[in-house]
Amino acid sequence: MEISLIDYGIIGFYFVLLFVIGYVVKKKVHGITDYFLAGRRLTLPIFVATLVSTWYGGLLGVGELSFNYGLVNWLTQGFFWYLVYLFFALFLANRIRKSNLYTIPDQLERFYDKKSRFVGAIFNFIMVTPAPYIFSLGIIFSIFFGCEAWLGILFGTIFIIFYTIRGGFFADIYTDFLQFLFMMIGVALIIPFTIQKYGGLDFLMVNLPSTHLTITGGWTTQMILVWGLLAFWTLVDPGFYQRCYAAKDDRIPRKGILIAIVFWLLFDICTTFTGMYAAAAYNAGLLSVESAATSYLSIASSVLPPVLLGIFLTGLIATVMSTVDSFTLLGAMNISHDLYKGIFRPNSTEKQEMKMTKISIVITAGFALVIALFFDSIVAMWYTLGTIGIAALLVPILVGFFYNGRKSSLASVLSMIAGAGTSLFWLITGYMNLDSWGWPQYYYGLEPLYPGLMMSLIIFVIVNIIHMRRMG
Amino acid sequence: MDAVAMLLIIDAVVLILATLALTYFLLRDMFKLKHKKK
Repeated sequence: MEISLIDYGIIGFYFVLLFVIGYVVKKKVHGITDYFLAGRRLTLPIFVATLVSTWYGGLLGVGELSFNYGLVNWLTQGFFWYLVYLFFALFLANRIRKSNLYTIPDQLERFYDKKSRFVGAIFNFIMVTPAPYIFSLGIIFSIFFGCEAWLGILFGTIFIIFYTIRGGFFADIYTDFLQFLFMMIGVALIIPFTIQKYGGLDFLMVNLPSTHLTITGGWTTQMILVWGLLAFWTLVDPGFYQRCYAAKDDRIPRKGILIAIVFWLLFDICTTFTGMYAAAAYNAGLLSVESAATSYLSIASSVLPPVLLGIFLTGLIATVMSTVDSFTLLGAMNISHDLYKGIFRPNSTEKQEMKMTKISIVITAGFALVIALFFDSIVAMWYTLGTIGIAALLVPILVGFFYNGRKSSLASVLSMIAGAGTSLFWLITGYMNLDSWGWPQYYYGLEPLYPGLMMSLIIFVIVNIIHMRRMG
Repeated sequence: MDAVAMLLIIDAVVLILATLALTYFLLRDMFKLKHKKK
């Protein structure tokens, strides 16, 4: 891939800005609430910017789906998610803010007990390990700079550790804002240049299979639901919770998520159509594409002039980095706040907790780095492992928020273990039966999340009834 | 230019304008906060 000097300059400028933010922002941190939640002072604009940018981690993956299947990408990666965001905004956001806590395991302790906090913290940590994103950062760097992927992985991780350790959540939100700017503008810019080069709907109709232009993409209902219902992830996403806790007042989370949905909608339309244009141009023999996964990069470098290409490429790095830094901090909070302070050293001071968080940032990033560097074959699987966190946490969290009757802590712990265990079993058997494309073949074609959720719910209901009867 | 192309361009323009508007409000908030502190 050919990148001009001026585009490299823009990417370099972005890293200098990140460095400056990391250097300056330390002055704003005066205590643990500053370090974890920016002093609970997030205003509406910064709430929206940090939520929108953190949530997007895989632009190349979205490009790949659009390239291969067309409009159905919007249905499965957009529409279903908007519905769940809406539910979150209307029924959860304010409750979370009002609880004035720090993490999801905090909620589990509030609803149940310390054992639930402990088990929940472990699953939470699995969900936020940034290994898949650190891995894709390495790939992006290797394409941009022609270096080995491991070098990119190492550089990106050390950089993120630097500013996250110095500024905690303050560094996270300021860098998120910068990343938000590059992401939105970079992705939007491609559309007019693509249309100018290739034309409108006619070009797509002539050069794409007809299924690319139907909303279901020729997929079966089950396939669509399998992808679409992964949107439940949102309901137990630690990043969503952290931003709600950090909002300045009770009204900001709801309003902020509703505004963020508008940004996601506009953004998703751009990404879906860019992927489709890449496929159409490739089919027409007008664009050379190495693989579906890098098709987004190919079309960007083909249509964008220098400077704008630099903004787009920086936006691409920004989408991944904004997720890695947030996940790294969240993983560190799991260790320092949920386990160290919450379970093992309840009497530790704020200073000790903060020191532990800084150490945990290095541990979390280091752990993800090792997975990304040495076990690249399990990186994709780790993403699926992340979904096991949903199978574990969704039922006890939703019951906690919406069921006002008596709740058994034993039911919570057992449902988390049963949900995650069932999903893990499903996952392992799937990976033991790969098809000719190397994709796991699950029992009954069901993604591991669904049997896990079902088991979690059944166990919760049964144990809760029995336990509560015994307790009288 | 057909209707779909036109809608796509409008989408991209609205996204850029919304991003710039959010940036404006964010900087305004930051400036206000600093002003209050003084």
